[in-house]
Amino acid sequence: MRATERGLALVGALVVLVLAEVIGRSGIGGVGWPPISEVLVHVSDPSAQRLLGRALGATGAAAGAGFVLGTVVALLVTALGALLPSTAPGLDRLAAVIHAVPLIAVGPLLITIAGRDATPTLVAALAAGFAVFVAATSALAGTNPAQRDLFSVLGAGRLVTLLRLQLPAGVPLIVDGLTLAAPAAVLGAVIGEWFGARRGIGVLLVSSMQNLQVEQLWAAALAAAAVSLAAYVLLVALRGAVTRRFT
Amino acid sequence: MPASTTTDPVTAIALSGIVKDFPLRRGEVVRALDGLDIEIGHGEFVALLGPSGCGKSTVLRLVAGLEQATQGEVAVEGARPSDLIRDHRLGVAFQEHALLPWATARDNVALPFHVAGRPVDHERVTALLALVGLSGFESARPRQLSGGMRQRVAIARALALEPDVLLLDEPFGALDAVTRRRMNLELARIWAEQRITTLLVTHDVDEAVLLADRVVVMTGRPGRVRHVHEIRIPRPRGTEVTRDPEFHAIVDELTALLDEPGPAR
Repeated sequence: MRATERGLALVGALVVLVLAEVIGRSGIGGVGWPPISEVLVHVSDPSAQRLLGRALGATGAAAGAGFVLGTVVALLVTALGALLPSTAPGLDRLAAVIHAVPLIAVGPLLITIAGRDATPTLVAALAAGFAVFVAATSALAGTNPAQRDLFSVLGAGRLVTLLRLQLPAGVPLIVDGLTLAAPAAVLGAVIGEWFGARRGIGVLLVSSMQNLQVEQLWAAALAAAAVSLAAYVLLVALRGAVTRRFT
Repeated sequence: MPASTTTDPVTAIALSGIVKDFPLRRGEVVRALDGLDIEIGHGEFVALLGPSGCGKSTVLRLVAGLEQATQGEVAVEGARPSDLIRDHRLGVAFQEHALLPWATARDNVALPFHVAGRPVDHERVTALLALVGLSGFESARPRQLSGGMRQRVAIARALALEPDVLLLDEPFGALDAVTRRRMNLELARIWAEQRITTLLVTHDVDEAVLLADRVVVMTGRPGRVRHVHEIRIPRPRGTEVTRDPEFHAIVDELTALLDEPGPAR
């Protein structure tokens, strides 16, 4: 059963690649859609690899730092809402309002406030933080009523309930949020770079687009997608381990 | 000092004139309890028996401080339930074991110490696990234990801080009949060693008669006390009690009381 599933997944991926190649070769997609094989040939060139590697390194660092920053801030805000329940609805709304501002509009604002170097990290943190906040808020609220009753009869305060019940019980859901936050952080970092970082996938995308370097554009886009996917796969594996431990 | 209560010092739990309404939609209310009076003495084991939906769990939740009475007064050891909770003097076990799935049996029993911010008395935890017959399962996680074993852990946890009052809400309600009977006998043995004031809520007549000093039978909703029955069967009560004709006579009498519709009002 599992072997068939894997086989099907492989076949599906191959079909997509072949289709992309056929579209590229036939030219239906216009000049903007090169054959995938040519993108791979472009990537095999050492100077292109160096360029891509530097850009990936910068984006990866910004996305990683933003992911950590966003997660920490989101968890602290969630904990504040749990410890001071009167603030919870306000914090929910504040998060929703911040999330409603398009990241593309936040970018230029942050460039003027925090500078071009910090912007990719901050946009990544915003994107990742919201996913973690939503997951963590519902995780902390979703504890089993019998366990809540037990803690209140035992005379547990809010902090003890948070640390000994809500957080451990919420770990699987919070990790679910992290699996969504990781690709969001990569996307946020790329958007942040778009507005004039020194290097990174976002910068590479802009310059390739402006200079009509179609293969480089595709290589950069695929590299960003690969990083997102890798982060996602890693966190899904973590989720498996965590679910076994906490349930 | 107990505030503004005129409770008799021999009374461990006193519920007087309890009315409990639950709001439905648009200002409508359903009256779960209507003028309920129950007194439980120190070291007494009282079983609260009633048809399902009669509000017997609500009585326990009032004593546990999880619900507030609409009218009337709940006094535990002469104080409000919230005062006892603050001093960590209540022990509780529910039908749902409510064990922490990520913690071992030992850590689950130690939980009340952590909650109370006291150093864990490891000897007591070990002794309690032995008392409930779980020596050797200290490091097992709840999902590795059977339903009956999980309830034993929950009962050991309820006893951890030597509570003044033990509250049991259908603790064996989710177990099969055979396991349930065995757990009843175990609880009878454990209780005989501890003699803590205990309120047990159940719909199982055998369980109530086997365990309690007094059985309080409630009417259907709204719940009131219908009948109080002293159980004079001597302790320790073991398997032989369940074959005693007197035991069966009491069980039959109380079952008949549960069956009949209450006086219409």
